[in-house]
Amino acid sequence: MTTRESASGAIYDLGYQGYDGPRLGRSAAITTLFWDSLRASFGLGRSGRAKIIPWGLTAFMLIPAAVAAAIAALVPVGGASPFSYDNYLFGSAPLLSLFVAAQAPELVSKDQRHRVLALYFSHALLRSDYALAKVGALAAALFIVCVLPMLVLFLGAVLAAADVAAAVGDQLGNIPQILGAPLIYAVPLAALGLAIAAWTPRRAYATGAIIAVFIVTAAVAGIVEQASQGTLGQWIPLANPFVALDGARDLLVGARNVDAVGTRSLPLWIYGAETLAIALAGTGATLWRYWRLDP
Amino acid sequence: MPLIETRALTKRYGEHVVALNELNLEVEPGIIGLVGANGAGKSTLLKILLGLLDPTSGSAEVMGKDVTRSGPEIRQFVGYLPEHDALPPDVSATEFVTHMGRMSGLPRSAARERTAEVLRHVGLYEERYRPIGGYSTGMKQRVKLAQALVHDPKLLLLDEPTNGLDPAGRDEMLDLVKRTGTEFGIATVVASHLLGEIERVCTFLLAIDAGKLLRAAPLASFTMHTGTLGVEVEDRADELAARLTADGLTAAVQGRVVLVDCPDEKPYDVVRDAVDDLGLALVRVEQRRHRLEDLFRTDEQPAVVA
Repeated sequence: MTTRESASGAIYDLGYQGYDGPRLGRSAAITTLFWDSLRASFGLGRSGRAKIIPWGLTAFMLIPAAVAAAIAALVPVGGASPFSYDNYLFGSAPLLSLFVAAQAPELVSKDQRHRVLALYFSHALLRSDYALAKVGALAAALFIVCVLPMLVLFLGAVLAAADVAAAVGDQLGNIPQILGAPLIYAVPLAALGLAIAAWTPRRAYATGAIIAVFIVTAAVAGIVEQASQGTLGQWIPLANPFVALDGARDLLVGARNVDAVGTRSLPLWIYGAETLAIALAGTGATLWRYWRLDP
Repeated sequence: MPLIETRALTKRYGEHVVALNELNLEVEPGIIGLVGANGAGKSTLLKILLGLLDPTSGSAEVMGKDVTRSGPEIRQFVGYLPEHDALPPDVSATEFVTHMGRMSGLPRSAARERTAEVLRHVGLYEERYRPIGGYSTGMKQRVKLAQALVHDPKLLLLDEPTNGLDPAGRDEMLDLVKRTGTEFGIATVVASHLLGEIERVCTFLLAIDAGKLLRAAPLASFTMHTGTLGVEVEDRADELAARLTADGLTAAVQGRVVLVDCPDEKPYDVVRDAVDDLGLALVRVEQRRHRLEDLFRTDEQPAVVA
């Protein structure tokens, strides 16, 4: 590489320089897209307005856990906290639904609407790489949103105890749940949310459709369940994806959540299977959509 | 190894629409004009070369690699400027071009440096830190060119690069394209239906029509002398044509111009004498050249005066 220099040594015009450095190829392109999309899930590197919804919802997720931890620390007598690792995520279902409804379209709608997708697909990655990087980024974002309150509950339990070391020991058994439950929630929700969002370039439609699937199905399932009798009624809650996810979480823990016995009376593996099916079907539908899409 | 090679490349949309019909090409580096009417198959060809579309049958290779099997490896070294808008409105040109550089596999710091350099080359300065949504069409075209150049491609595919630009913007974009091809030494394919623009920047021409290759040759061979003399007069072109025919030449009238077959130097004297004898006001005498438009012109032959 040369630069043109005048006699005095001052650089006049650098001219066009080629690039002989490393080209990291497809894996670097996928990693870049994943990290950029994960940042976009929280509005990082975007305008202040883009941060309001993700940060607001994350804060609302944290507040109950933080308040419970604070009370436990200040009032040592303390009865049982209303929040536990078992019920926290299921109780946050509306917030998680809103997070997916707001941020899944943020990750994919613009690329279709403004046809940036044609540029992505003409770069060093495959269509399937794009789809998986986006699902992965949203899943990672949801994992963060879910794991933060679990960590607050953990810290609350540890710091409120008289003997911190003993408390840490007591809590060790909860580690699989603290990390596993957020994963069980994050992956299927991301896959399902993105599958819906990828279907339209219009962000508002995508948000509406996700809310319909996540919140309306839960509400309808609840109403129908009340009205129906007998064994059929046991199956109706499966229409609510969060019932399936929490059943899968029960499966991980190996015990039924006592708060939720009423809505989940089927064998736990059924909920686990549905959770897996949601994750696979959502990812598959997203891949299929991008496979077929003409950018 | 040719830069681009296609063999019996065919693309159909549905049952009836044939965008590319058994196209065979071998293209060497240079500034290559890909010309054809709207719907001739130019964009389809570019998209197949990029791996954005799969061919119905036949094969295409770029830099010796098959486009359907080695998409990401090829695209590391290819820049693409699509015909349509393709920019997100809410990020700045700097952020976007850096991002696209990294999507081509550049390390972060290299992507930043190259972004600053290509944005300077395409002529975006202060405005590069503002969101793209507020840019004019001309500035957006420059950003599209910059993202196609950021990774120093070996091959640049430009689809209608002057789309939507005003005359001054067109001139600037064409100058940029020409510099990219000559000064930067990047092999460039420019698809356009505007023959005048192709003539200004390209060295080699691929003319396609209805998905078939019409002609592939250096630009110069398209605009050679035709062996026809055009004699433009103020009026009475008919009389001149009749006189020249009587003098033994083959002459035809086209408006105020008399076209004379001119295999050697003799017709010059005959024309001079005829114009003088008839007392005509002579505007110009010129050797006719082929024009690119002639490639796509099949109907209108000038009427021959017997």
